[in-house]
Amino acid sequence: MKILTTVKKVVDVELNIQVKEGKIVQDGLQYVMNAWDENAVEATVQLKENNGAETTLVCMGDSESTLMIRKAYAMGIENGIHVDDPLLESADSNGYAKVLKKIYENGDYDLIITGKQAQDTDNGHTGIMLAEYLDIPCVSNVVAIEVVDESQLAVSRIGDSGTEIINVNLPALLTVSDSINEPRLPALRGIMMAKKKAIETKTLADLELTLEQIDMQPVRTEILEYQAPSVRQAGKKFEGDAAEITAKVVQLLSNEAKVI
Amino acid sequence: MTKILVVADIKQNALKKGTLELISKARTLSENVAVVAIGNHIEGLIPELAQAGTDTQYLANDNKLEMFSASSYANCVIQAVKQYQAEQVWFAFSESSKATAPRVAARFKSACATEITDISIENGKVIVNRPAIAGKVYQKIQFNTSPAVVIVRAGAFDIDGEYSGTENIHNLEIPETDLRAVIQKIIQDAGEEIDLADADIVVSVGRGVKDQTGVDLVKALAKDLKAGFGSSRAMVDAGVMPHNSQVGQTGKIVSPTLYFAIGISGAIQHVAGMNGAKVIVAVNKDSEAPIFNVADYGIVGDLFEVVPILRDEIKKVRN
Repeated sequence: MKILTTVKKVVDVELNIQVKEGKIVQDGLQYVMNAWDENAVEATVQLKENNGAETTLVCMGDSESTLMIRKAYAMGIENGIHVDDPLLESADSNGYAKVLKKIYENGDYDLIITGKQAQDTDNGHTGIMLAEYLDIPCVSNVVAIEVVDESQLAVSRIGDSGTEIINVNLPALLTVSDSINEPRLPALRGIMMAKKKAIETKTLADLELTLEQIDMQPVRTEILEYQAPSVRQAGKKFEGDAAEITAKVVQLLSNEAKVI
Repeated sequence: MTKILVVADIKQNALKKGTLELISKARTLSENVAVVAIGNHIEGLIPELAQAGTDTQYLANDNKLEMFSASSYANCVIQAVKQYQAEQVWFAFSESSKATAPRVAARFKSACATEITDISIENGKVIVNRPAIAGKVYQKIQFNTSPAVVIVRAGAFDIDGEYSGTENIHNLEIPETDLRAVIQKIIQDAGEEIDLADADIVVSVGRGVKDQTGVDLVKALAKDLKAGFGSSRAMVDAGVMPHNSQVGQTGKIVSPTLYFAIGISGAIQHVAGMNGAKVIVAVNKDSEAPIFNVADYGIVGDLFEVVPILRDEIKKVRN
């Protein structure tokens, strides 16, 4: 089985994020591998270890994205493709999906695995759109993958009324939930080896893609501005005798907030 | 005037509250509001959908649609978009919507925005607001293509009941099942719980409740209040609570009137899923827990002691 895994470099959501004049303040931001993509990498490496697979990772973004690829190498991915093109800076999900489509078509893959969403946009569109553009079956929010045979997987996804067990024919695309696994911490040896491994770098021109072909001209959506969320103020905090403070809070819920 | 197609959110043959919220809001933007209803044995929902404010109802009603399939559902929505010539397609927030909406957008060479909290039309363009980066920022996004496909955050809009429509049913073609991805079975979640997205009160448990005994203790409070019963990710990972109970960035987004966070520390991923609640009550023994930064009322104490008192006091007030 030949697996293509996609990862995105995203802003570290644990940090404070400031908005100024409609833009995110870039100073002090740090970037990490999207957490759900770490689950995708882990799921890929587990398939390789348990069933045998050829693994390739693709990451789009600036030169810092190579750190994401090296991390995936250290976790056990074999090949890495870095799509580095300043033209992609304002790409939306459609743009990413179209670039990934080209990568997929160049590689004769059986399976694409990606995180269910990116931590920065929280959209969860790219994988699903990619499957649509490729006209291959797609299962999103996957929490377990089993190989049935060379042409079929049995996957579990969390749907609206429970856990759905789905048989899916290859080639296919899966987007994985963070519940699927616990991504491994790379061992030191892996980290050292990852530093030496080659990364294939591509521009849009290398991929023979024009801005029109990746839906960036005209662009389908534009972010007009960023806004800071209205901040919830800390309310009243009570400490002391449990019976007393609990009764007090219930009184407030009834008389002040009028919600019970 | 812009034409809006609302995709009905149906669970176990019943209409979910979000659908009515969407129709109500859509009517404030346009007189042209249609709905598409997909499922099996759902023809009985049409009068309610008309009453809510739609004048055109697209119906895909067949046993092939009994279980959710993203490709079949997308196919039905796409048919309805074409027939109605919809310029906007609105989904209510759910796992099914998240799997379907991007396909619809891709098929029309358009785009999608998930978990929007507001929508308007400015200079002929659809503009939406939505949280990103775990709710740490909001984006204002303009669609340049049509139809604008959106998934609306639960509780973003109110039902005002001012509008009503008439029945005008169009039956859609039933798509063939995509044999490349076939549901074998669904392991249903326990049926007794109230749906989190619909619940007016939500009670959630975190690591502090420790185990099943703690869960049962807090569940009794949820039952008293007829509340939805949710959890933090820690409890799902520990295998104590089911996946579908997870409230947070990757789980369910809830906006109830009243939210109880019991034994939840308040990681940003959890807060991103509940900070739309009107009133938040937190119970935690750590007075420095970040949950107190967002709680309207905080009780610093041992939940095993506090929760039974909470139940008693609420009963007293309610009588």
